[in-house]
Amino acid sequence: MRDILAFFSAPSLWPQLTLGSGILCCLAAGMARGLEAATSRVLGTAALIVALWMLLFTKLGAAGPLVTLDSLGLAWQILFYAGSLPVFLSLEADDEVPAALLLGAGLGMGLMAAGGSLLMLFVGLELASLPSYLLVAKLRSPSAPPFEAAVKYFFAGALASCLFALGMALHYAASGSLALSSAPGPMGQAGLALMGAAALFKLGAVPFHFWLPDVYESCAPALAGFLSTSVKSAAVFLLMRLASIGMGSAMAASLPWIGAVTALYGALLALRQERLQRLLAYSSVSHAGIIVLGVGAWAAQGCDRAAAAPIFFYGLVYLFMSNGAFFFVKASGLTKRGEVGGYARMCPVPAALFATLLLSLAGIPPSGGFLAKLFIFWEAVKAGLYLPVAGAALAALIGLGYYLGLIRDMYFDEPVWRRPSWEPGAVRWVLWACATAAAALGVLPWVFSSVLERIFS
Amino acid sequence: MLAPPWGGAREMIGLVFDLYLVVLTVAAFTLAGWFLGPRPKHEGDAEVPYETGLRPFSPPGLGLAAQYWRFAVLFVAFDVDLALLLPWALNRPFLDLNLMVSVTVFVGLVAFMLLYFWRKGALECR
Repeated sequence: MRDILAFFSAPSLWPQLTLGSGILCCLAAGMARGLEAATSRVLGTAALIVALWMLLFTKLGAAGPLVTLDSLGLAWQILFYAGSLPVFLSLEADDEVPAALLLGAGLGMGLMAAGGSLLMLFVGLELASLPSYLLVAKLRSPSAPPFEAAVKYFFAGALASCLFALGMALHYAASGSLALSSAPGPMGQAGLALMGAAALFKLGAVPFHFWLPDVYESCAPALAGFLSTSVKSAAVFLLMRLASIGMGSAMAASLPWIGAVTALYGALLALRQERLQRLLAYSSVSHAGIIVLGVGAWAAQGCDRAAAAPIFFYGLVYLFMSNGAFFFVKASGLTKRGEVGGYARMCPVPAALFATLLLSLAGIPPSGGFLAKLFIFWEAVKAGLYLPVAGAALAALIGLGYYLGLIRDMYFDEPVWRRPSWEPGAVRWVLWACATAAAALGVLPWVFSSVLERIFS
Repeated sequence: MLAPPWGGAREMIGLVFDLYLVVLTVAAFTLAGWFLGPRPKHEGDAEVPYETGLRPFSPPGLGLAAQYWRFAVLFVAFDVDLALLLPWALNRPFLDLNLMVSVTVFVGLVAFMLLYFWRKGALECR
């Protein structure tokens, strides 16, 4: 009881408190009925940057029964907050509601990262998901039916939350508490499997991926970038927490296979896509499969916190690659794959940026995506998961079909798109930053290794 | 007879029982009206709702304005928030300044949300 105020003043929770204050300030700006949208955008960006900066000062440790911050949570908060920044920089809204919703989602993910109990994970999961459903309805892509995708996402996400709650109930019945420790017996295994299914739902892994392409296609490209990076990282973090609770369980053992099947499925379906945002959505499913393979390999090797660095590196590179790709779609105004032809002749610089991002997504050697995939496959081979690695490698090979196909269309086809647009402003800078980072992380990974060592040791 | 197929997990029996009872109860409530209710035989105008002899103006069924839904949602959200005050109220004699400050902050946040909805016009009727 006494430590409820300690909860608010704990150094472990300063980034989350910053985001909470940011939400209050955005809503207060909304009440003022002046420049609501612009003020809330600035406030939101400031809150995220301050939260990222505060991560340098956060202390690890427990602050009460619900909050335990360890190095994994600290590292993943970087991914959550940095993944939300690009959306803010290009937010086009009428009022302060999208900014507040985005900060709310960030707060939820931060609470999940600092969670020391299954209850906190659930609260964080819900707080991160509900604003996403609303944001998909509010920030729409100009060419898609508005509410259908948001409703689909809501129902799928609500189902995932029900699965998680039921899993928590079974876990409690088996072990007598909601702490992050393993629950014995078949009931504990069942609970863990249900909670893992909920995490896989949020990630978009194969039996539960059906909501993903529609949602990513119908929302604004910047928001799709947010969903594919921050929300996916949150789901990966949840999966890692669950895997570390149940190390030898059936759920952890099935993760590499789910990952391989997801990667193959996403790659195969992306080959057939005509619309760019949907293609990027399926490629996102494919990458999620490779991350799940990485989590499975991590779980098979004992869930050592320092060994989570390859997954974090993949999340970091994927942050830049995916945000960059979606921002290219927004900036160039291209929607269909058929319109991409000859783009390089009309706008050489944006085409080069997109080509860099595509090479990184495909995993071609000098880029960050190659190193990220290499590290994950290395870990999986070390864990002895040869067949899932072969499946994921096959998926990466199939991925070359559409990634390199897009590059070929851009550079070697006749120009198709009559009026190329190249949107000025913040979107362009974000695209440049993402493309540079995606390329640089492949050539200079040791720049980040000192940071990674400091985080993970 | 009720042994679960995966051997030996005796604590799962409660869960299976629960599932049976839930399905039975839902089915019973759904079908009760059809089985237990009267089978009226109406003639002429007897099935039309009584509206002092005139034909009904609005269609039968739920003719509520969608605005009522907004108030219902606001009520539920604030009600759940304020329901969290009940444990605080029950434990008041045993609490200290720390907790008073915490609950003041909590009520302050709820009041902030009320102010936000008020300024945004969500509390207007029509």
